[in-house]
Amino acid sequence: MSSVAISASLQISCSSQHVTRKVQPQASVARPSRYVGSKQVTHVATVNIEAPKGLSVAEQQERSGLPVDGPNNTHDKSEHSLETEPSAPRFADERWKKGTWDLNMFVKDGKMDWDCLIEAEARRRKFLEVYPEASTNEEPVLFQSSIIPWWAWLKRSYLPEAELLNGRAAMVGFFTAYVVDGLTGLDMVGQTGNFVCKAALFVTIISIILFRKTGDLENLGKLVDEATFYDKQWQASWKDQNTASPADKSGKNV
Amino acid sequence: MSSSVVFKSFTGLLHSSSAQDHHLKPPRRRTTFRVSASKTSPRLQNRNLRVAVIGGGPAGGCAAETLAKGGIETYLIERKLDNCKPCGGAIPLCMVGEFDLPLDIIDRKVTKMKMISPSNIAVDIGQTLKPHEYIGMVRREVLDAYLRERAAKNGAQVINGLFMKMDIPKEGGVKGGAPYVLHYTEYDGKAGGTGVKKTLEVDAVIGADGANSRVAKAIGAGDYEYAIAFQERVKIPDDKMVYYENLAEMYVGDDVSPDFYGWVFPKCDHVAVGTGTVTHKGDIKKFQLATRNRARDKILGGKIIRVEAHPIPEHPRPRRLSGRVALVGDAAGYVTKCSGEGIYFAAKSGRMCAEAIVEGSVNGQRMVEESDLRNYLEKWDKTYWPTYKVLDILQKVFYRSNPAREAFVEMCADEYVQKMTFDSYLYKKVAPGNPLEDLKLAVNTIGSLVRANALRKEMEKLTV
Ligand SMILES: Cc1cc2nc3c(=O)[nH]c(=O)nc-3n(C[C@H](O)[C@H](O)[C@H](O)COP(=O)(O)OP(=O)(O)OC[C@H]3O[C@@H](n4cnc5c(N)ncnc54)[C@H](O)[C@@H]3O)c2cc1C
Repeated sequence: MSSVAISASLQISCSSQHVTRKVQPQASVARPSRYVGSKQVTHVATVNIEAPKGLSVAEQQERSGLPVDGPNNTHDKSEHSLETEPSAPRFADERWKKGTWDLNMFVKDGKMDWDCLIEAEARRRKFLEVYPEASTNEEPVLFQSSIIPWWAWLKRSYLPEAELLNGRAAMVGFFTAYVVDGLTGLDMVGQTGNFVCKAALFVTIISIILFRKTGDLENLGKLVDEATFYDKQWQASWKDQNTASPADKSGKNV
Repeated sequence: MSSSVVFKSFTGLLHSSSAQDHHLKPPRRRTTFRVSASKTSPRLQNRNLRVAVIGGGPAGGCAAETLAKGGIETYLIERKLDNCKPCGGAIPLCMVGEFDLPLDIIDRKVTKMKMISPSNIAVDIGQTLKPHEYIGMVRREVLDAYLRERAAKNGAQVINGLFMKMDIPKEGGVKGGAPYVLHYTEYDGKAGGTGVKKTLEVDAVIGADGANSRVAKAIGAGDYEYAIAFQERVKIPDDKMVYYENLAEMYVGDDVSPDFYGWVFPKCDHVAVGTGTVTHKGDIKKFQLATRNRARDKILGGKIIRVEAHPIPEHPRPRRLSGRVALVGDAAGYVTKCSGEGIYFAAKSGRMCAEAIVEGSVNGQRMVEESDLRNYLEKWDKTYWPTYKVLDILQKVFYRSNPAREAFVEMCADEYVQKMTFDSYLYKKVAPGNPLEDLKLAVNTIGSLVRANALRKEMEKLTV
């Protein structure tokens, strides 16, 4: 990639974040572990590092001044040469080999140090959030977190709250739908028959049982609101019929 | 208490539709069909029912075909006959059969779908496909033109014109059978021509004019939220194209989209690279660059031959029907969440609406009224609401954060999941699950979520 082409492409499709990335030093990353946490990088890619959740990351970037496309804005342009980002720092760690962690290197005193592995993977994921990498076929990622035994997770008393709770918003809605379904014969569940639904149902029950911390009623109310928002959007056309066009109704009886 | 809230809103749907039943009585109507029609709607004298379809996309094309076949005097107004709608162009297998599509309009048969997580774990999700099963990739200019031509062959009159507005008959007129007057500019096909202003009188209108629908505006249908989707057509070197021969990729992650996915879809001789978002529209170009970056090695050396962007509706408009005017497809807002699929639903809704008109008018012999069109809405919601709801749930749960996405991708590695998702995508019906497998899946999903979240916690610790 010539640098000319790169800067041209940056003009075509960049936002503030990429500008900052371009400015960022291209130092090689020998020990990403230290690199991620260090001040220097925090300065460059502040937004990503300090926002813990996906949504807020981009929220902060939304005011980056790109024109927002309204629904009336369809545009066609043609003939650019395709360029991607200049080579961003890549994740490197001597224990990460050929797309997976070399488990041999996590053995301490003849025992597998799962904690250390968990930490290493967390570090890798963190790094990738800041510097997403191309997915390649030459070196696919093979590591699966499921090889870490369940007690290693439990031992560290991880309780996944926030995200499961998010999911729970939808699930609670679903679950009520399931119940209402059964009562009304609307048959949403029956029709879909459905594995996802059932999976969701289980998760709902379990998360309600397990994660009671935020389970106070008020929160639940909010969750329900969110979960049923889509339902309301769909029902609008039926409500409308009763209120907005009463004139059409009379005399139509068969 | 909280459950009663839901309860209400849910039965709300039911209530209004059962209230509807009082005057519609769809099941009974079928048996006493002729009798009730003769009571309500007048027989047309010396002519058949006239219906205009605005917009010649999949929704419009299919609506016009069904109308014309049903004996209705049909006009199809499309502003641009070689229109190339920005679209990924993926259609489910059942569409080929249900709409009798010739195989030569399918550029590619995708049999492998790769789902790639934020940490670049890639999962192949086509392994359970049977030999004859595939996802079809079409070019919209080809598909749309084909459907329009088929409508024309069946007797629809295709007009190359831009619909401007319509005069809606006054209160009593709508019920009294007064015509709708459409204003449009007709083009003669010569480039640069400004066109001729014309009007057309019809008895009913189907609005199939897409996300920026003027028909919707004309009947005060209200707005919907929309996602903006961005797509680049990239011509990549032949040796790279081999990889995408029958494979499509989906990328998930905060980098490519905070609430949707990024894709690389194979087209006839190039690939389409794109992404979409509802919540952060202003950042769409950044997400596009990120998508391109994630696919970098596979599209290296490619040339962008076209850049396109278009809104995608998130949910139906508050009003999809008014008098003898009904909306279908994107104009109504029928794109699913999670997968962003709209072609099949557009075509289906166009056909369903047309069928309601054909039936209500007894093959064009009688006037139709709002209740006839409402049959379409009712049937539509009944048939597809569960699909939409499930996909909304999936999107809420799994596209929400990187840990959830990691769990989602892990879950997709499961053969059972693949079979179920593909079955429901390809055939738009869900095979009944197997309780034991369901349970296993539930446990695994929870396991995945727990792990992904545990890692997330670790990641948070790293920064502070
Ligand atoms: C980037 C992108 C990717 C997508 N990928 C997929 C995918 O892979 N699979 C899938 O199933 N769906 C996909 N969708 C969604 C899909 O494109 C739409 O849901 C589908 O096109 C809706 O069809 P329609 O007939 O309702 O409307 P449209 O296809 O929008 O057709 C409307 C037609 O009406 C015409 N028209 C508009 N206004 C007027 C007027 N005033 N007068 C006359 N004519 C008019 C237009 O020219 C157009 O031909 C994608 C959408 C986008 C934006």
